[in-house]
Amino acid sequence: MSLLEVRGLSKNFRGLAAIGDVSFAIAEGSITSIIGPNGAGKSTLFNLITGYLAPSAGEVRFKDRRITGLATNRIAELGVARAFQIARPFRELSVFDNVRIGALFGKAGPRDVEATTRRALELASIAHLATQPASALTVGQLRHLEVARAIATRADLLLADEPCAGLNPTETAAMIDVLRQVRRNGVTVVLVEHDMPSVMEVSDRLLVLDAGRLIADGPPPVVANDPKVIAAYLGTPDAA
Amino acid sequence: MKQNPKLIAAVVVLAIVLLAAGPAFLPPFYVRVGQLMLYSAGLGLAWAILGGFAGYASFGHSAFIGIGAFAAGLVENQYSSLPPTLLLPLGLVTGALCCAILSAVIAYPILRLRGTFFAIAMLGVSHVGAELTNNIDFFQGALGLNFPPLAPAAMDPAVFYYELFLGGALLILLISWLIRRSRFGAGLFSIREDEDTARMLGVPTERYKRVAFVVSAVLTGLMGVIYAHSLGYITTDSVYRDDTNLSLIVYSLLGGMGTLFGPVIGAGLLVFITQVILGRLLDFHLFATGLLLVLLILIAPGGVNGLLHRKRRPA
Repeated sequence: MSLLEVRGLSKNFRGLAAIGDVSFAIAEGSITSIIGPNGAGKSTLFNLITGYLAPSAGEVRFKDRRITGLATNRIAELGVARAFQIARPFRELSVFDNVRIGALFGKAGPRDVEATTRRALELASIAHLATQPASALTVGQLRHLEVARAIATRADLLLADEPCAGLNPTETAAMIDVLRQVRRNGVTVVLVEHDMPSVMEVSDRLLVLDAGRLIADGPPPVVANDPKVIAAYLGTPDAA
Repeated sequence: MKQNPKLIAAVVVLAIVLLAAGPAFLPPFYVRVGQLMLYSAGLGLAWAILGGFAGYASFGHSAFIGIGAFAAGLVENQYSSLPPTLLLPLGLVTGALCCAILSAVIAYPILRLRGTFFAIAMLGVSHVGAELTNNIDFFQGALGLNFPPLAPAAMDPAVFYYELFLGGALLILLISWLIRRSRFGAGLFSIREDEDTARMLGVPTERYKRVAFVVSAVLTGLMGVIYAHSLGYITTDSVYRDDTNLSLIVYSLLGGMGTLFGPVIGAGLLVFITQVILGRLLDFHLFATGLLLVLLILIAPGGVNGLLHRKRRPA
C-alpha cells in the first residue's frame, strides 16, 4: 500500500493551470524528490497536499483516506508534516520550545513531549542549540530546526521544501545526512529540490514537473537522462 | 531555571496577604488608587490572554466591560429583592454569560482578521455596543443604571471593592499562569509567532483563537461587573470608554507584551503615573497615556520586562 496517493490533481489560478492532472503514489519508507524548473508547480503541489490550498479537481489520499478538503491542522494530526523552504521559526521562542510545539501538537495520539522533542533535536543534529533563541540561528541551522520541528510532530510523511537551497556544500552534506536519518526512523520523505547532486544522491525516485504536468517518473539516473527532462530544463535545440 | 517551589509558594502567599491587608494601613486616597490598580491589572491580564499570548491585540475590549456591567445591572435591578450575598453572584454569572455568548458569536468572523484589522474591528464592536446601549431604551444606557449597594454594613465600601478587585485580579492571574503552562498556551504562543506555521504543525488555530477570545471576554466582563458596582451608578460612557480601550494595550506594552506579569506591572505603573504623579492634572490623563505609548514604542518595545531581560530573551 502506498502512503500518499495523488489522483488527477489540478489547480487553476484564474484559468492558469499551476498543476494539471497530476497523479502519483509514494511508497512507504522511500525518499522521493520532485524536481522541475521554476514555476513548474512544485510548491503548489505541497500546498495542495497540506491543505493550504484547495485543488480545482482531483484528490489526495493519505493512508488510504481522502484528505482533500480537510483543514491543514487536521492533516497534520493524521501524520503529514512540512518543512518550509524559507525557514519560519517561532523567533521569540528557544530552539527547544520551537521543536516542543511540534511534539505538543502534530500527529494525534499519546506521546512523551520532552523525549520526542529531545529525539527530534538530536536527529536533526541541533541538540547543542536547544537553549538558543531561534532568532540567533544561521540559515543552515534554521533549516535543521525546520526539519526537527516537523519530525517532532511524529509525522509519517515529511514534505521538505528545498531543504538544501542556499546551503554551502558542507551544510548540504549535513542536511542530506539528516534526511537519511529521518528515513531510517521510518519517516517517508518527499523533497522538492533544485540542488541536483544532492537529489541524485539521496533519492530513490524522481518526479519531474514541468508547467504543472508530470513529465517523468523513475530512478534518478534514468530520469536525469530522459530527453523530455533535459528539454524542460534546457529547452529543445530547435526552439532556441 | 531551578527555583525552590516552597520559597515561591511562601512569597506568593505573603504577597497576597500583604495586598489583602493593604487597606488597613493605607489612607483612603491610596485605597482608591489601589482599587484602580487592581481593576486595571485584572483587565490588562484578561486582555493579554488574547492580545499578549495569541498576538491578537484588541482595541475594543471595553465592549466586554460594558456588556458585563449592563447585563449585571439589568438583572440585579430585576431581582433587587434578593439578599446582597446572592445578588452579586447573580450579576457576575449573568455578565460572564452575556460576554461569553456575544464573544462566541462574533469570534468566527472577527478572528479571521489579523493584526491592525482585528484591532480596528474590535474598536468598531465597542462603539456599536456603546451606541446600542445608549439608544435602546431597554438597556437604560443614556439614562443610567443604579446598582444596589452590596458592601456589608460593617465594612467601608471602598475596602470591600478593593478586596473584590483583588480577588478578580488574582483569579485572572491564576488562569493566565495555568494557560501559559498548558498545551493550549503553547498553541497560543505559536499562533502569535506564525499562525500558518502553527496550523501546519497541527495546532487547531481557529478553535484556540476562539477559546482565547471567549475566555478573555468573560474575564474582562467579570471585572466590568465589579467595577460597575464600585461606581454604584453607570451610564454608557462610564463603561464603554475609549481610554480603557487604549490603556489595555499600553499596560502590556509598558510591562512587557506576552509576559505573565507584564500587564500587572504596566497597569500598576500607568495608574501610579496618571493618578498619583499627575493626580492634580487628571485632564491630562489621555495625553500622558498617549505620550507614554509613543515613547515606549520608540525606546523600549519590549516594555519594562524587556529592559530587565535585555540579554536573556523571555521564553
